[in-house]
Amino acid sequence: MKINYRQLSILVFMSFIALKCLALPGLLYSESGNMSWLVTLVLMFVDFIFALLIIDLMKKSNAKNILEFMQQCLGPVLPRIFMAVLVVKYALVVANISKGLEFFVVENFYSSLNWIVFVLPLIILVGFMLYKGIRNIARVSEMVCWAVLLGCVYIAVKSIMSVDVLNFLPFFKDGVAPLFKSGYQHMSWFGSSTFLLMLFGKVDFSNEKKMKLVQYSFLAIALVMLIHFVFYGLFDITSPTHSFCISDISQYSSGQSSIDELSWLVVSLWVTAQAVQLALFSYAMIQAIKFTFNIKTNVFPILFVLIYIFAWSFIGEMTVRLEQVFLTQFSSILTIFTAYVIPIILYIGYAVERRKNKKIRGGEKCKS
Amino acid sequence: MKFNAVETQKNIETKLHNSSDVKSRTVQFFEKTIVLMYIADITDNVLFNQTIIAPIISYNVEPQGDIVSELESKVLTNHEVVEYSSEQEALDDMLSGKTIVIVDGAEKILGIDVEKITTRPVMEPPTSVVVKGPREGFTESIKYNLALIRKRVRTDDLVVNIMDIGELTKTQVGIVYFDSVADKAIVKDIEKKLKKIQIDGVLDAHYLISYLQRNPKSMFKQIGDVEKPDILVGKMLEGRIGILVDGSPIVLTVPFVLIEDLQNSDDYYSQPIRVGFIRVLRLLGVILAVVLPGVYVALEIYHYKILPTEFLVTIRNTTQGIPFSPFVEVFFLVVLFEILYEANLRMPQYFGMAMSIVGALILGETTVNAGLVSPPAVMIVALSGITFYIIPSQAAQFSLLRLAAVVIGACLGLYGMLIFCVFILSYLSSFDSYKSAYLAPTAPYIESDQQDNFKRDLIKNMKKRPRSIANNRHNDDRRSEDEN
Repeated sequence: MKINYRQLSILVFMSFIALKCLALPGLLYSESGNMSWLVTLVLMFVDFIFALLIIDLMKKSNAKNILEFMQQCLGPVLPRIFMAVLVVKYALVVANISKGLEFFVVENFYSSLNWIVFVLPLIILVGFMLYKGIRNIARVSEMVCWAVLLGCVYIAVKSIMSVDVLNFLPFFKDGVAPLFKSGYQHMSWFGSSTFLLMLFGKVDFSNEKKMKLVQYSFLAIALVMLIHFVFYGLFDITSPTHSFCISDISQYSSGQSSIDELSWLVVSLWVTAQAVQLALFSYAMIQAIKFTFNIKTNVFPILFVLIYIFAWSFIGEMTVRLEQVFLTQFSSILTIFTAYVIPIILYIGYAVERRKNKKIRGGEKCKS
Repeated sequence: MKFNAVETQKNIETKLHNSSDVKSRTVQFFEKTIVLMYIADITDNVLFNQTIIAPIISYNVEPQGDIVSELESKVLTNHEVVEYSSEQEALDDMLSGKTIVIVDGAEKILGIDVEKITTRPVMEPPTSVVVKGPREGFTESIKYNLALIRKRVRTDDLVVNIMDIGELTKTQVGIVYFDSVADKAIVKDIEKKLKKIQIDGVLDAHYLISYLQRNPKSMFKQIGDVEKPDILVGKMLEGRIGILVDGSPIVLTVPFVLIEDLQNSDDYYSQPIRVGFIRVLRLLGVILAVVLPGVYVALEIYHYKILPTEFLVTIRNTTQGIPFSPFVEVFFLVVLFEILYEANLRMPQYFGMAMSIVGALILGETTVNAGLVSPPAVMIVALSGITFYIIPSQAAQFSLLRLAAVVIGACLGLYGMLIFCVFILSYLSSFDSYKSAYLAPTAPYIESDQQDNFKRDLIKNMKKRPRSIANNRHNDDRRSEDEN
């Protein structure tokens, strides 16, 4: 079951906007102030470069999956270790998305609810999508992405008149150092391109349109930047107190105590986007588990991931706040390693391997 | 083996349990006895007399060689004469309307087509009414239906493959397709599936659906059905394959994609701009039909704060004093609507009007006046009920989904409704109907097929066959070579 290049580009779009429009802008502001948008822009651009790099490897390789590709480049032992590390990385992203979704729903939709019950339909949905595979996730993304994009643009444009541009000035008033610090500290919110590693051998490049990936990636970057711009422009120094960027800017713009009706629709669409993002990263986690433990069937890894998501719903809000900080610190290194170091190692490994093969072939030719 | 005319006649009569509609007539043809056997009610008497009896009796040139060959080549004036070398073959064809001619001492039996086709005239089908465009609809006769197709398609590229299905009914089932356009692997697959069917009788095309679809237990339609020859030919030109069943005015088509149900034959005879608008309206109608009652319940129970204040006040004023929760109220109305619909459908036509008045006016009005249900709930359910029939062929499925949506809306609110919607999308995305994705050309998005998706391009611009339908990829250009 392969996906096409357009679907791959849409999955990149979905992964790029995942996690970026809820708590991240507020968290970044505490460290880097009114230049937080630059941190997001730079790190998203880095993600884009690494997405191109991984896809380039994907196209060049004839391996059935990432494990086979890694073994071709790095030998038998190292790939399993990398896979285990990737499992942890995906587990953190899955936890982050599922907790983000929980807080978002609880905060915006209901006055009080028992999330342990409400998470069950989400688990059924994600379980079904995982059971049906990546093509199903890609097809759903194809339908959801435009609605999400239009909705977010609507919310941002509607609020843009209230934005105070002076909030962004002066540039670099605290220098560049805080930007590096906050970028490092919140690295775990980036590195979205890591999921691409699990799509080796699952993409059909036959109808590839070269610019599609660039278009969708830039669209995602532009969308996130637009929302961040509006968010900082509206809230300025109060930004860290706002945990739900997408719904908070809408609430502000209506000028009322509650969100207006159409914005509700958009806020609702964000839930669907998050559900799809959760399925996407859960899929990556399942693949990584399968490769790490050499499991052939999908059933047990899927069950494990679903139980894992369910388990997170038992952890309460206060604990999670602490947890988030802890995980953020810990996972920065993890993100750097999985999102940037692994692809570079793979690229070098692949280049070395190719050169070796060329030499061998050249030698054989000389002999003959 | 030589046939003894009288003995063969008796054998056949015995095999048919001496049924009273089995008739025979014995005539003398020079020195030979000829027995003519036929089933009275399915034989055209005029044809029988003109093409069999009269020529035999009036023939006065003594035959020189084999009588059967003489009869076949010089005497019988019917357009179709078939030879049988076994009694059983002759009997089988006699049951489908042929008259069999048993010549005493001959090695062959002859079968002559004098079948009387009893069917209603060609009419406009009630489910595919058009404002402009052809009005001919299929009938219950496979012969008439094939004639309606042939009338539109004068090419040697059209293939018709007929087989009998059903141990007892031996119903004729025909597969029709364009040889150069259809995917041969799918044709083979369908033939294989049809040949494998073991059933005592096939009374309608719908009997075959469960044998042909990949997920027979799914509530969603996976095989297309058409009632008009122009629609069928249109679909065949895109690479689909038609399956005709004798006795059914419905022709099945495969592969099937969901968007087909949002398209109407009218669309191809109207202005493209209007078509795009209407198709979007149809989609909106379907969404409203399924989710509107559920969303109303969710808003009423959990999220009333998001309604505009004036609107909320109006709704609150009308719902005050209603003894039931919004869920019970809407659920009751939805079930009531289904009951009324079912009763109305099966009721004799002359009761229909009275029933509508009782259902819509008296029941609706009195329940509102009695304070049992609120006017907004009645309005929502009525609106949803009407919009169902934008796509009548999927109304049954949507009514079940609507009930599920009401329950989910009541239990989980808007969040539940969203999960429900994504689940439906995901479920539909997981289908493939004969190598064609169910939600194509939307998911997967196929750019070239957007010419006839939610919008429709000018016919002259629709130069390629759709890629969302599995067809012969080597022949996807719809234009002639000159035009290219």
